[in-house]
Amino acid sequence: MAPRWMVFSIAALVMNFPVIATLVTAFKSPGEVSRNPSLWIEAPTLENFVTVLTISDRLNIYHYLWNSTVAALIGAVLPMIVAFPLAWVIARRGVGRAVLFPLVVNLRALPLIIFAIPLYMMYSVAGLLDTRLGLGLILAVVNLPLALMLLVNAVADIPTEIEESAQIDGAPLGRLLWHVVLPLCRPAMVTTFVFGFITAWNEFLFGLMLTTREAVPMTVGASFFFATSGGGVQWGVAAAVMVVAALPPLVLGLVMYRRITGSMVAGAVKG
Amino acid sequence: MSKKTRRENAILASPMVLFLLAILGFPTVLSIVYGFSETSFETLTRPEFSGLANFADVLSDPTFWQAAWFSLRFGLITALLQCALGLALAVYLAPLVERHGWTVAVLIIPIMVAPAMMGLMYRLVLHEFAGPLPHYLYAWFGTAPSFLGPAHVFKTVVLAETLQWTPFAFVLFLTAYQAIPSELREAAAVDSARPWDVFRHIEWPLMRPTLYVALFVRFIDGFRVFDNIYTLVGAGPGGSTTSMSIYIYESFLRRGEIGKAMAAAILLFLTAFLLLAFGQRLTKGRTE
Repeated sequence: MAPRWMVFSIAALVMNFPVIATLVTAFKSPGEVSRNPSLWIEAPTLENFVTVLTISDRLNIYHYLWNSTVAALIGAVLPMIVAFPLAWVIARRGVGRAVLFPLVVNLRALPLIIFAIPLYMMYSVAGLLDTRLGLGLILAVVNLPLALMLLVNAVADIPTEIEESAQIDGAPLGRLLWHVVLPLCRPAMVTTFVFGFITAWNEFLFGLMLTTREAVPMTVGASFFFATSGGGVQWGVAAAVMVVAALPPLVLGLVMYRRITGSMVAGAVKG
Repeated sequence: MSKKTRRENAILASPMVLFLLAILGFPTVLSIVYGFSETSFETLTRPEFSGLANFADVLSDPTFWQAAWFSLRFGLITALLQCALGLALAVYLAPLVERHGWTVAVLIIPIMVAPAMMGLMYRLVLHEFAGPLPHYLYAWFGTAPSFLGPAHVFKTVVLAETLQWTPFAFVLFLTAYQAIPSELREAAAVDSARPWDVFRHIEWPLMRPTLYVALFVRFIDGFRVFDNIYTLVGAGPGGSTTSMSIYIYESFLRRGEIGKAMAAAILLFLTAFLLLAFGQRLTKGRTE
């Protein structure tokens, strides 16, 4: 096992190197950052985090975090709502398998920039430009393919006998879906939500194009800290911002990593 | 199908259909209108029909072809590198992962970091004075390449993309590896086959369909790359890292060439559509 541990350690170190370097830099004082670029911290300090978390008018990190939270919640929950009833129709009645299902699933492979420009124009007319709702709506589109795939699989996995016995009791379809099918799909729903939230939180292009001030998400806001305004980038502060910005999806993903890997495989293979 | 069933189906499918129409249908119409019109941000509401002028503009723009070539090369190279590394890691580390499941979590951390954020992190890592990588290279070898200079920038962005998404290929291959029935390996062990032969004759044939899927998925992602390159170097020195996505973004927001950007987006859509159809035929033909 020893050589395998070796390879694992090297792979983990190399692939996570940017994350490690950022984490280390975030705990260095401004003076130390310019003096000591190594991975060793001489005098660990929370100074940068204090700077970041102390609200400033120009770069308000709480504002970005809130925008990302709201937009990512819309982007994660909405696909589940629109995909669930369709998933049942597809899995149980085969309707929509020919056109609607491949249409939605293949959205995943399209370059997002294609949607960004016409959406910019539509949003500017509809008043959705620079709003959390507008950002959330397009993030929902990004998450639709995986949501539909996971939910179709989940419904198909439910033994038909369970649904049939409920139907014999004369329950209307709506009740059947709500009280029988939905609870049985809960694990798939959780996976869909976790994956969708992480994807939406990490999205950058739509945030860059469709927001300017009010609804700027965390990924775009973090890049503002790198905009050199005279004195150059304050690396310690910038690193602390990235640590804060990367934390929510990272924690969620690490807690749920088994679901993440499972849905990656489902998403890749069924496409 | 009874009338009632049909109505039920329509009701259940309607949320998705309405959502798609509202958020994608209208923009699609818009992009076709603007793709064939002369427009600027000042005359946004009064597009003037201009036929194929925008498409001619795009197709005669050397920057467009440079971007297309960049995206194609970037997609192919990163997909191949990720699959090679991911496959090797998956096969070699599988026994370790089996006993210590948490090791997977450590290896997939990069996937959970936003690509845009990863690009920013590399700005720190590679920075001449504040970056740890040049620091160590100087300390050990007395010299460090200019990672973001014209000579090395392509290699740098390829490396950044590869290191972030190799874990994705790793997970796909690991899952395929773990799905191989253990009886097959045990039978080979009884015949005292060497590890390399076991891999070549038993494991590899069973994992090959996954290779096509992984290559395709990673190629598509590389082909449409935007976030990490944009935050790390933007369009790059002399436009050398301008991908198709970055080209369209710059035409639109930097230069305000709306019609041209739309025409390029339509061309990109058609390209992606063809690649998709081709890729699906490829993966389907191999897996079934």
